[in-house]
Amino acid sequence: MVYLIVFVLIYLLITIYLSYLGYRRTVTVSDYLLAGRQMHPVVMAMGYVSTAISTSAIIGFGGISGVYGLGLIWLAFLNIFVGIWVAYVLFGKRTRKMGKALDAHTFPELLGRRYDSRFIQGFSGLVILFFMPMYAAAVLIGISRFVEVYLEVPFATALLGFSLISACYVLWGGLKGVLYTSVFQGTIMIVVMIILGVSTYMLGGGILEAHSALASLTSVVPDALRTAGHQGFASMPVPGSPIWWYVITTMIMGVGIGVLGQPQLSVRFMTVKSDQELHRSIPFAAFFYVSITGVAFTVGALTNVIFYTHYGKLAIDVAQGNIDKIIPLFVDAFFPQWFVALFLVTLMAAAMSTNSGQFHALGTSLSRDFFEQALLRGRSLAETTVVTRIGIVFGIVATLFLGFVLPQSIVAIATAFFFGLCGATFIPAYLFGLYWRRGTKAGAKASMLCGFVVSLLWMLFFHEQESKALGLCKALFGRDSLTGLPLSMIDPQIIALPIGFVVFVVVSLLTAPIREETVRKAFRHI
Amino acid sequence: MLGIADLGILLGYLFTALAFLLCLFYGVMKWKKGYDEKDGDYREEIKWEREEIELIERLP
Repeated sequence: MVYLIVFVLIYLLITIYLSYLGYRRTVTVSDYLLAGRQMHPVVMAMGYVSTAISTSAIIGFGGISGVYGLGLIWLAFLNIFVGIWVAYVLFGKRTRKMGKALDAHTFPELLGRRYDSRFIQGFSGLVILFFMPMYAAAVLIGISRFVEVYLEVPFATALLGFSLISACYVLWGGLKGVLYTSVFQGTIMIVVMIILGVSTYMLGGGILEAHSALASLTSVVPDALRTAGHQGFASMPVPGSPIWWYVITTMIMGVGIGVLGQPQLSVRFMTVKSDQELHRSIPFAAFFYVSITGVAFTVGALTNVIFYTHYGKLAIDVAQGNIDKIIPLFVDAFFPQWFVALFLVTLMAAAMSTNSGQFHALGTSLSRDFFEQALLRGRSLAETTVVTRIGIVFGIVATLFLGFVLPQSIVAIATAFFFGLCGATFIPAYLFGLYWRRGTKAGAKASMLCGFVVSLLWMLFFHEQESKALGLCKALFGRDSLTGLPLSMIDPQIIALPIGFVVFVVVSLLTAPIREETVRKAFRHI
Repeated sequence: MLGIADLGILLGYLFTALAFLLCLFYGVMKWKKGYDEKDGDYREEIKWEREEIELIERLP
């Protein structure tokens, strides 16, 4: 307990100081000019990665690999290849240039101005406003599960407690000057995750021994998982089996591809001053990303070896079926108290750095994107400040509510839901907006609405994971899904994203181009 | 290899390593590129930065 209090206090004090320092340095334009107009590549990389990675990756997806095995490493591949290389090189550079040319400051604003459409900006803002709390709740549940295990308090108490800390941080200046804090938070995450990875292999007797022991656990995989396609923790699931579709399309591709449509990440490219900053940041961002997610996904699977050796049970049995408790129970049981306290601080860092980006996006989505553009038709009022706060408070309350009502084992699922929904809704209009001058306003609107509606319909009536939980399909048609395997296991994004691309191209070719002046302005620096 | 027999898992680790190397080499190769400024870019950037600061000011 002493370790915990000391570490948390040190962490909070440093975070508050760095927030103040970062804020003070950004309040005047002259400060900005004096700063030399270059951001250190490590700063950019840390900021991006600490916003992208949250407790969800460590607790949620670490737990998922504890159940489905090392196959989750493919998500680490997509994290680096799509989440860093594609995001920076194919999306980031043009986002930066177009963002400056169009004077865009939020992701919905970039899309809205690119297509000369207030509807697009307002609609994008509303999607973020109403669905981002699901992701924010996943982040809070992730850390609350750890607090529940570590301090042995009820989950509701842990959730309420950390939500209060997070709300205080966000409402008392935590969204300002996030640059330095995210570097600090990112550093803690990387160091602790590397220690976690090395220690886990040491607990398993070494790399070879741990992997061999993991492979030998194939014989004790529960029958229910085995019949669904599980072939052991050191093997991929049977191709085409229900588990294969679930792991590949929802857990790996849902998040791995959906990251490109994440508003709180895309907006970071607009704050960069030159392509050079992006180029230099790429290796660092890739290293940070793989150090955290690669370790989390590998350790998640290896927990089975350690739990089985000591308790004669698999990780999911020790966690009594709650996937989100696998990593917390593992760290709490096998690591010294000082490390457990440090791990909690790491989760705080991961949660708070992601929450900053999420609540920033929530606030600006309501005030700048929906209120100013869609309702006031472009006018800016002094009341916008109040509306921003209303958006953030709404986000916090909605997040807390979801945190209480969402079921167990939800962290990775809720994250994949939000990433998938954003991916299907935004990626076609975003990608074509950056590369295809002929794309039209109608094409963008149609693809966004299609991606959004198809995703929701697929969740309500076809994708069994959500349709079963939501119950509407059962109420209307008397069964959990309108389709059978494998369609009922395929993630909504996999269906909705290609439809969105096709709709964008077809509608664009059939409708009038955007004003020449808008297109010329958008592509001015490209 | 390394105690893992499944090709799918090994390829996953291999591709992760290759993706990291791609990022590493890309960053190193382009280390000095991309600093060119265009006419008006500087003024535009100041305008953008002013607005960004106003946006930050509106946050709690």
